[in-house]
Parts: sequence; structure tokens; C-alpha cells
Amino acid sequence: MERPSRQRQREQQAEQTSDETLQCPECSSTDVITDADQGELVCDDCGLVIDERSIDRGPEWRAFNHSERQSKSRVGAPITETMHDRGLTTTIDWKDKDAYGRSLSSEKRSQMHRLRKWQERIRTKDAGERNLQFALSEIDRMASALGVPRSVREVASVIYRRALNEDLIRGRSIEGVATSALYAACRQEGIPRSLDEVAEVSRVPQKEIGRTYRYISQELGLELKPVDPKQFVPRFASALELSEEVQAKATEIIDVSAEQGLLSGKSPTGFAAAAIYAASLLCNEKKTQREVADVAQVTEVTIRNRYQEQIEAMGFR
Amino acid sequence: MSDPKDTINIENVVASTGIGQELDLQSVAMDLEGADYDPEQFPGLVYRTQNPKSAALIFRSGKIVCTGAKSTDDVHESLGIVFDKLRELQIPVDDDPEITVQNIVTSADLGRNLNLNAIAIGLGLENIEYEPEQFPGLVYRLDEPKVVALLFGSGKLVITGGKQPVDAEHAVDKIVSRLSELGLLD
Repeated sequence: MERPSRQRQREQQAEQTSDETLQCPECSSTDVITDADQGELVCDDCGLVIDERSIDRGPEWRAFNHSERQSKSRVGAPITETMHDRGLTTTIDWKDKDAYGRSLSSEKRSQMHRLRKWQERIRTKDAGERNLQFALSEIDRMASALGVPRSVREVASVIYRRALNEDLIRGRSIEGVATSALYAACRQEGIPRSLDEVAEVSRVPQKEIGRTYRYISQELGLELKPVDPKQFVPRFASALELSEEVQAKATEIIDVSAEQGLLSGKSPTGFAAAAIYAASLLCNEKKTQREVADVAQVTEVTIRNRYQEQIEAMGFR
Repeated sequence: MSDPKDTINIENVVASTGIGQELDLQSVAMDLEGADYDPEQFPGLVYRTQNPKSAALIFRSGKIVCTGAKSTDDVHESLGIVFDKLRELQIPVDDDPEITVQNIVTSADLGRNLNLNAIAIGLGLENIEYEPEQFPGLVYRLDEPKVVALLFGSGKLVITGGKQPVDAEHAVDKIVSRLSELGLLD
């Protein structure tokens, strides 16, 4: 469990004060800073101390490493949207060990087994919660399979919950909405996964994912920008073990050719794949069209077509 | 700059009508020359007229849908042929059943390449749908006239959902003015 460091807390506090648009009574500057070390509220322009002996809302204990933080902290894990109960209920772990790490006696073990079973059963109070639990575990499963970071899972869970609240799931499959929530979350966080990739780890066909995604993004007003092919470049390039140089070149090719309107109506994955292929040729780190196509999940024909257009746009021909 | 309205071309007109009484499609199919009826495939009877070219879908309820015509006049003409054919089979048809145009599909050409990404952002992401992963065109839903326009990178566009031929002209006008406002037409 990661806790914000003191420095980050201080930054957040400084941000908060400027958000409230506190004004310095002397020079009416809005540049007012909270100095947590001195416990003062100071104007950054004229140096006037507006308030002293302010309350420090941080913890009264100090910890210098993870285990110290673990032993000194008196709060539990932060709440998370990825659990149906926001992670607030108790889970009994599967290790039959006591607090000292000793194995339990067989009598205690069967008692814990019963407790665990009933705890698991009463964690969800009705079918709605059970469905939510299922949907969120699906999101978690697919996110793990795609290697998507925690923050995106949180966003995906929030999107799913919003869809649930607005009654958008009625008439659609839970898996479908969960998958499109994850797809939307990846795009929103700027690490897009293509529909093909998402469909591969999902239990619903790509067509349904696309359809559901369009529906929920329309209804929830997500207003996601079209996917930028450049966002695929680092991932594809590292999967192909290509150097930074190739990445930079591919990004440049995308920039130049998109500028000339070649991107209009073209699939961003195919566009990125062709740019990487072209860049790998230009940097003498040739990858075959087959290799690039496999990583980007497009066909070689797409790469050839986009590659021709891009090379022409770059004026290499 | 040539007027994009000159390039407007009606591709398809769909209209519906009805003869006000139920039909036994099986026997109509037997008697009517050149009718296709395969209830396992499609519940309606398909009758194709050659001049003007169109297809009439005749249903058991007596309702008829005419599709594939290139103009509203053609729709009336080909439905007239269908009515005459039915009268020949001793099926009573009113003198002039009401024909309502349901949909007109039009194509047009703006004559220059479009940067769909910029248009998607410029027109406001809530009015448009642009998913190049799923479909290469940009879907733009207009409120007035209430039509849907598909814009493509080549500058060609398809307008669908209109009830009158003028709807397409209004839509093209509106799209052109919106795009030039945004400076995306040069």
C-alpha cells in the first residue's frame, strides 16, 4: 500500500490553497503557499506571512521505509472502485496461518474454512452486487491479460459503474459493457489498446465490443478523441525490440504523413505499423512485414499500402 | 470553387405504401411474372420493375415498400406499375394509394481531401462519431435538417435519412459552411 510521500503531500496542499484563490491582503497576489515545515501560510510574491501555526493534517508519525509504514499506519488499504464493495469489507485470505505465520490446528482450520465460505457469501447482498462483482473481476482479468496498469482499471471500473447507474447495461451483455469500459479507459488514459487486442482477451466478439463502446461513449459523453497512432509506437517498437532511434523516426513519419491528411479514415494501428516498418528500414534494423503485422495485429497488405503512401509523403521516392 | 451542391446525386429512394387489404403471397407469387418469394429467406415478396429500375417488397399485410429507385418520380412510377400488375390479378387496389417517402440516400463530393481528425475535434465530439478502427467514415448527425452525413477522407460524402430531396442540399450547405467556418476546407 503506497502512501503519498511528505513532499507530495506538501505539493498537494500548495495546489489546494491556490485552487481556493486565496489572495494576499498586502499585494493581492494569488501566489499563496502553505509551508508545512514552518506551519505558515506565506505569500510567494511579497513574503507576507498570512497565517501561522496552521494545522498539519499529515500523520504524526514518521516512517522511512515500507515495513515501518506498515507497522505505524493505523488505516487500511485505500478504497478502490475495482471492488464491488470498494474494498471495504473484510476478506479472509486462503492461507491457513495465524498472525505469527504458524499453521492452524486442524480444528481451527475447518472453522476458518467455514468462516471464509460464509464471508464470501455475505459479501454480496443481492444479484445486482454479484453482477457488479463479476463485471469488475472481468475487467481485472482482461486488464491483467493486456498488461494495463492499476490506474486504468480504476477508470474502467468507474466507467462501468456510470453505465450501470444510467441503466445502459439493460439489453446488453455484462461482459460486453465491461470490455468496452476497459477499451474506453485505455483510450482515455492515453495508452490505447486496439479493438483486436481487447477482443482477444474478451469473451465477446469484436463487433459487439465496438457497438457497445460507441453506445456507452455516446450516452456517457466520454468524448474521446480519435486514437493517435503515435501512442502505439512505443509498445509495438518494444515488442519488436527496436531502438529508440526507430521509435523517433516512426513518430516523425506519422507526424509528417498525418499532416498531409493521409491518416483520414485509416486505422491507427495499421498506420503505426507501417510507420514502424518504414522506420526500421530507414534505420537499418529491418523487420519483415510479417513480424510487424503480427505485433500490430494488422495484415501485411495493410502495411504495404500505408507504407507506400507514407514513403511518398516523406518524399523518399 | 465549384459548388458541392452540383455534385449531389440521389442514389436511393425508399417509400412505403399499402393497398389496404391482406394478401395471400403464395398465390400472388404464382400468378405474378418475375416475382421472388422465399418465406424462409424473407417474409415478403420481391417484385422487381425494370423501367424505372426498382424493387417492391410486398408483404402479407398488404403493405408495400419500394426501394432502389433513383428519384421520387421513379418511386411513384414503379409503384404505379406494381398497382397495375396487382389489379390485373383481380386484387382490388385503391385508385391512388398514399405513397410516403421514408428515406432518401444522396451522395456528394466536396472536391478536396478532408482531415477527418481535425473535423472530429472541430465539430464537437458530442455530435460526431469517428472510429477509424471500425469504420473509415466520420458520422455527423445534423439536427436541422434531421439527416445523417457520412464524411470520407476523399471529400466524398453520403447523406441519408432525408425525407425530401432538398434536405440533402440544406445538409451540404450546412456542412460546407460549418467546415469553412472552422477553416478546414482549403
